[in-house]
This record gives sequence, C-alpha cells and structure tokens, in this order.
Amino acid sequence: MTPEAVERDFREKVCDQLRLASEGLDRYRVFTPFQFEDGDHLAIVFKREGSSWVLSDEGHTYMHLTYELDERDLHKGTREKIITNALSVFAVEDREGELVLRIEDERYGDALYNFVQALLKITDVTYLSRERVRSTFLEDFRALMEETVPESRRAFDWYHRERDPDAKYGVDCRINSMARPLFVFAVQNDDKARDTTITLHQFEKWGLAFRSVAVFEDQESINRRVLARFSDVGEKLFSSLGANRDRIVQYVQDSMNG
Amino acid sequence: MAARFTDAEIAELLAEPKPLPYDYQGRLQLRQRSGHERAELDVRTPSGNRFRILLRQNMRNALDFSAIIAHAPPNSSLFFRLRRYNGRSHEHTNRLEGTTFYDFHIHLATERYQALGGKEESFAEPSNRFADLRGALNCLLDDCGFRLPDTPQLSLLEGLTP
Repeated sequence: MTPEAVERDFREKVCDQLRLASEGLDRYRVFTPFQFEDGDHLAIVFKREGSSWVLSDEGHTYMHLTYELDERDLHKGTREKIITNALSVFAVEDREGELVLRIEDERYGDALYNFVQALLKITDVTYLSRERVRSTFLEDFRALMEETVPESRRAFDWYHRERDPDAKYGVDCRINSMARPLFVFAVQNDDKARDTTITLHQFEKWGLAFRSVAVFEDQESINRRVLARFSDVGEKLFSSLGANRDRIVQYVQDSMNG
Repeated sequence: MAARFTDAEIAELLAEPKPLPYDYQGRLQLRQRSGHERAELDVRTPSGNRFRILLRQNMRNALDFSAIIAHAPPNSSLFFRLRRYNGRSHEHTNRLEGTTFYDFHIHLATERYQALGGKEESFAEPSNRFADLRGALNCLLDDCGFRLPDTPQLSLLEGLTP
C-alpha cells in the first residue's frame, strides 16, 4: 500500500466515525471513535449556550469513572492532579461535574480535538486503580451490625427525612426501639471523621435525642486535629473493628437492652 | 491483583442465589453526588460470596444511567463487574467483534475480553428490555439470581427515582 493510500485510509477511518446527530433545538450528539477502556465511546454533546456554542460531556465522564473509583478519590492525590492539569491545559471547565469547552472564533475542529484529549487524559486516572487495595472495612462493619442487631431494629444509611430530605447528614446504622436511638458510624478516613463531626453537630442543633458510637477502621491513621474535634462530639469511640469486635457487640447489645 | 474468571465461573456467580435484605428499596434510594445520583447495596450470599449493586443516574440526561452488579472476590483488591445495564447516551464498540452500536445495552463479563487485558465487561450487546434506570435494575435483579425478601414489599423499586 502506498503512503497516499495509507493516508486516505487514515482519513476515511477517522472521518467516517465522526458525525453529528440532532437531539432537539440547537443540540447535537457528537459521535467519535474515541473510547473508554471498556469500549464505551466518549459522551459528547454540541449545544448552544446563549450566543455561543459549547461541547459538553453532560457529566458522563465522571459518572463513568465512578463505576470503579470512589467519587472522593477523584478529588485528591495524583488523580486530582491529573484531572486538574487536563482541564487547565485544554481550557475545559468543570461545572459541578459537567465538563464543558466553550468554542471560540468558530474553531469547531480545534475545540473537538482539545475536548477529546482532555476527556481521554481524565479517563487515564482509572489506571491508577489497578493495584488499589479494596478495603473490606465497610462490608465488615455492615456484616457485624447485621449479625448483632435484629433487622427490625436497624436501618442502614439512615437520614432524617423531614429535616434533611437531601440526605446530607447520614448515619451508617441507626438502631431504634429504645428511648434514644443509637447512631453507629463507620469511620474509615479523615473525610469521614470530618463529615461525622458535622453531622453530629447538626443533630445537636436540631435537638435530636440520640446516642452515638463510632467505629474506626484505624483510629491511629486519623489526623490528630480532626480526631480531637471528633472526640468533642462523639460519645463512644472504638479505635478499630477487628480488635474490638467483642466490645462493640457488647456495647451495642447493652445499649439495646438498656 | 485483579481476579480473573472463566465464562463458566461467571455464569455460576450470576446464578448463585442472592437474598436481598428486607430494606433493599430504602438502601437503593438515589442520592446526589456532583452531577449524578447514585446508590450502592452490598449483598452477601449464604456461601459467603459478596456482591454489590451500583446504580448511577445522570441528572442532566435521563437516558444516561447504569445498573451494575459487581463481585468482591475474596483474594482480590478490586471488584469484578459481572453485568452493566447502560442507557442510550453513547456508542459502544466491541473490539473483538468489530461491531459498533448506539442503543440501550448490557455489558457482560467474558473470559475472552479478560484475556485481552482490558476491562472484564468490555463486551456489550444492545437490549430493548429497558429504557430507564428502574427498568435496568429490574432486569439486573431478574437476570442475576436475586431473591426478594420474605417480608411483604411495596411495588418493586417504588420511590427509587425522584
């Protein structure tokens, strides 16, 4: 095959797989040959915003990444750096999870190339999960609660439906049918410790009657200041699950019987 | 390290009876997270195998959703995704077969795609069995060995989506 024929084949291959499909007024789906590692193609929409046009992934890219990554992992460490760098280099905005590139000076082709490159760079963060250790702490915590507390007396992922319809302040396991329900929290890292501190403060503010207990995955790994603030509002703390299993069971059972 | 399974083992994992907890509907309530809604539910079988249902719904595009069943192998550090029921928001290409389509589709874990070194659920086929997340989850529960709890339930997945 001559170089000219190869070049023609390249062009046909790429061009044939690039097309637009109308999806309503001033809105088009952009089909490209570029894919995630699982064969799904990038999700790209070309749409009008006021007087200008943009390319958007409509939040699909981050959502796709959460099939195998924890949402929080995208916003810290090396993954955050990769994402931030890709957004910056290709001038892509992150609008609360929606990635958007505004098209300047009618340079549609350049914009598409930049947008695709940004999305592909961002999808690279999945390669960092290859050797990630999957903690079984949350699964073990839930199993312990299931073994210890009768089904009728426990609710996982509980939140106050009247005061908190958006479920911003959650309880990992609420144990009921006593004067004051027992709120049990599984705390695996600094973020969760901070969230739980805020949650307990909010419950106090609402005047809820409750008792609380926190089970850490590894209390020694929690930042000292974070732990100090948590200790101010947390009623009972267990430094780890494995080594305190019997004590946790005893405490929960005493609480239910008391 | 990521676990690998043969097609026969994948079929066994899918067929294994998976009892749903009595409060599974509440635990599959979607919650908002940066641009999409999500829910996850862990299920343990009598044999000790662990599975997870993951739901995702894009808040900007009703046709962009996923219902996933993943297995947590005891000797692996990563989840193994057995099935994924996807909306119609993007094209999919099966690299080995050379087929591309734009439709609702179901990803299936296969031995041959693991051998390629890619994602286990890289093979997918179009489906007309569902058109939204609720329907996708119903298909997942039907296809993957889930058993409803004995306690009386409200209609399946009532209140799942806003």
